[in-house]
Amino acid sequence: MIKLALPTGDLRRPLAALLERAGLRVQGYGEGSRAYRLPAEGDGPLRVRVFRERDIPIQIALGNYDIGICGLHWVEEFLCRYPRGDVVRLGGLPVGGTSVWVAAASGQWGGLRDLAGRWGVRIVSEFPNLAEAFALAARLPAYRVVPVWGAAEAYPPEDADLAVVAATDESALAAQGLAPLHRLLQGRAWVIVNRHSLRGKDMGWLLSLLADCGLEAGEGLSLPPPLSLTRVAPAAPPQERTTVRIALPDGHQQRHVLEALAEAGLEFEGYAEGERRPRSRLEGVEVKVVRPQDMPQMVALGNFDLAVSGRDCLLEHLYRFPSSPVEMALDLGRGAFNVSAVVAADLPAESLADALRYWRERGVGTVRIASEFVSIADHYARSRHFWRYRVIPTAGASEGFVPEDAELLIEGTETGRTLVENQLKAIDVLFRSTTCVIVRRGSLQGPRGRLLSSLLERLARGAVAASARM
Amino acid sequence: MDAGPCQKRRGLASSTMGEPLRCRGMYDLLPADMERFRWAEEVFRRTCLAWGYREVRTPTVEHLFLFTATGTLTPQALGRVYSFLDWDGWSGERVVLRPEGTIPTARLYVEHLSGQPLAKLFYVQNVFRFAEGEARREEWQAGVELIGDTQPLGDVELVLVAREVLLSLGLANVTLRVSHPGLVQALLAKLDLPAEERLRLYDGILEGDAEALARVRERIPELGAPPELLLTEEGQGLAYLRNLRSVFLPALPDLGAPLDELETVVSALEGLGLTPTVSGALVRHFEYYTGPVFRFQVGDRLVGAGGRYDSLIGLLGGRDVPASGFALYMGELLDLLTPPQRGDGQVVWVEAPGRSPQEIAEAFRAVRLLREWGRQAQVVLSPDQAGAPRLRLAEGRYAVVLADGRELGAADLERALALLTQGESRA
Repeated sequence: MIKLALPTGDLRRPLAALLERAGLRVQGYGEGSRAYRLPAEGDGPLRVRVFRERDIPIQIALGNYDIGICGLHWVEEFLCRYPRGDVVRLGGLPVGGTSVWVAAASGQWGGLRDLAGRWGVRIVSEFPNLAEAFALAARLPAYRVVPVWGAAEAYPPEDADLAVVAATDESALAAQGLAPLHRLLQGRAWVIVNRHSLRGKDMGWLLSLLADCGLEAGEGLSLPPPLSLTRVAPAAPPQERTTVRIALPDGHQQRHVLEALAEAGLEFEGYAEGERRPRSRLEGVEVKVVRPQDMPQMVALGNFDLAVSGRDCLLEHLYRFPSSPVEMALDLGRGAFNVSAVVAADLPAESLADALRYWRERGVGTVRIASEFVSIADHYARSRHFWRYRVIPTAGASEGFVPEDAELLIEGTETGRTLVENQLKAIDVLFRSTTCVIVRRGSLQGPRGRLLSSLLERLARGAVAASARM
Repeated sequence: MDAGPCQKRRGLASSTMGEPLRCRGMYDLLPADMERFRWAEEVFRRTCLAWGYREVRTPTVEHLFLFTATGTLTPQALGRVYSFLDWDGWSGERVVLRPEGTIPTARLYVEHLSGQPLAKLFYVQNVFRFAEGEARREEWQAGVELIGDTQPLGDVELVLVAREVLLSLGLANVTLRVSHPGLVQALLAKLDLPAEERLRLYDGILEGDAEALARVRERIPELGAPPELLLTEEGQGLAYLRNLRSVFLPALPDLGAPLDELETVVSALEGLGLTPTVSGALVRHFEYYTGPVFRFQVGDRLVGAGGRYDSLIGLLGGRDVPASGFALYMGELLDLLTPPQRGDGQVVWVEAPGRSPQEIAEAFRAVRLLREWGRQAQVVLSPDQAGAPRLRLAEGRYAVVLADGRELGAADLERALALLTQGESRA
């Protein structure tokens, strides 16, 4: 049985068509089926599972899947951190196509040379390993890479000096207000293989089929030469900001936040329409839209004074960085869901203790925990005294991991319907997460404290009013 | 229990689930290993103190940026460090498990000792670098750093300190190689390649990559002599250095300064009866070396290396102070060492007559007394330990059990000890 990992997202439709032309039909794949495991018709036994692209190199390296297809940028993101990982690049397929760029806000820098010898360059990226490789190769002194879940393009110039982002071409970058400084790689959908499977498992029919799709060699990572060690005089300390900067979330939280803002009588023009920089009618207030997962770190860094995020994101941050100066200022009480420990529905266990006992008795040496919330999962396993365990980071869609690729999920569960659909059940609730407002500790006493306090009061009054109506 | 060196060649315990409990590339030091380790450390410390060096210890965790700036570690070396975001790493600033000892010591100098014109420092500490398979990822280094304007005397002193340590450890067949990174740099500078490419080529040459050498030959046809003569050949002392000067200097005038520096050090060492092997290319993955470098081998094992790093202190934010140093690799040394037998005599075993509190106290009282008399004494804690000869306490009297099984009675501890000593000497 060959195990094949295919990507969700934009690659689905063209990849499904390409595979079908070559003789492999994966039912429901091109049509966007919500199922994670799909039946396939090929020349041999095959198990197909759909993953988020960034998870595929990890699954191939772990040996859970033999062959995977995903964008080259995710392959390189994995391999430049784990060059000895059991992932073999086979070749590119004639679908997809994106580049990873080192970019800055238009007009901020003339070129890479402007960065020579500059201390403390802030690089924001969804690809922190590629960003790190770039900074090391360029020999940037005392650089800082800030990993984000997405919307990296929103950060420069105020909140980052550089962004390492994926974009099809320079015009796509320009549309995001960015100018390219260096292209790190250019690639299409890439076929990768687990090294041990390649060495010892007969996968001939599927590899021939993929080769018939037109596998092509590609360029590797293109790192810049070291920049000269020009000593740059330290920049003058930035002037104390007088405005209050607010971060609002995109994605599934946006609906709840729009309601909370409306209750508070706050309106930011362009937010509902998906703009990254909505406009505020309140004097001295600036707004930016970023991913809720990235907000605690941005508030800790002082880039934002107030952010509307989720309790799950805040805890994930605080479990990883206990000394972070971020705290919850207000619970908006909206968008509630449980963060739960989830196992296969047919596991004969009703509690975590039962499950741990069962796995131990069955000789499960390492309990694999799949989760988007890596630090919460790690904290949970530590505080519940797990024996050997491994947290497998996922980019979402974790429900498909159990039982083949993980024993346990740490997962957000709202109604429980998705769990039932995927033959899963919750055996423990870690905490209940709601939308909340976070601030930097002590910021209410700071120079912008009065404005910040008044915003918080309005949001709090709105929350009370909404709660009274419910 | 007493096996060693380390456990790297032995089967290791696994958990009940069949997977090793130990992290890959990490090794325990068992009692026999620790005896060797402490002996090597003691000899190293004693030698350093005698030469006027003072001990320091730097933290295991340092900021990554100390190691990433140009002129510190190469990208290849940085690709193997253990770096991560600390518990308070929300700023995005990474920290690293110390991958080598020189840069942290230079940092220590900049932060605490920069007012001193001369700092003679040494340390024994672990370093962490990723290595393939079961190779060691944690190494221990015994290092010396000499910070101040000491050239060329300092270079000679460091060689002598390192050599004295190795000889004091009883190692035979110790060889010394010297080189100067300026030799290869002068050659590679002629190639007009980007710095990254130059480093790759340099590593290729050190790994004996024939293609890399061919590329050098191709790009510098005017060199006259084949480049491998400079890059891969070795020769003895001053004579070889003078030959190199004659052959290469006309085409590579930049070789003049490094050859001069090397000649001074080699001449002085020859005056002390040491003729080092001169090598064109020696150190890898360390960009910070700027002057003469050296390495010590025992047989074919590299046991230590060092050299001059005049730019490093300035790169770390201090004033420009020249410096040089070396490190001995404890892991390699442990494999080669046989520690001297301890001449501290035989243990006197004391057996308690029973397990009542009074009987237990009586046995330990006897042991305390014996220790006060200068003997090594231990209570027999379990029947498995009950070797002869030993003292047995019985109803206020002492029985001496000799190696042949005979038991002799004694009225007090002093007489019992005398009987035991006679028995030992007869045996």
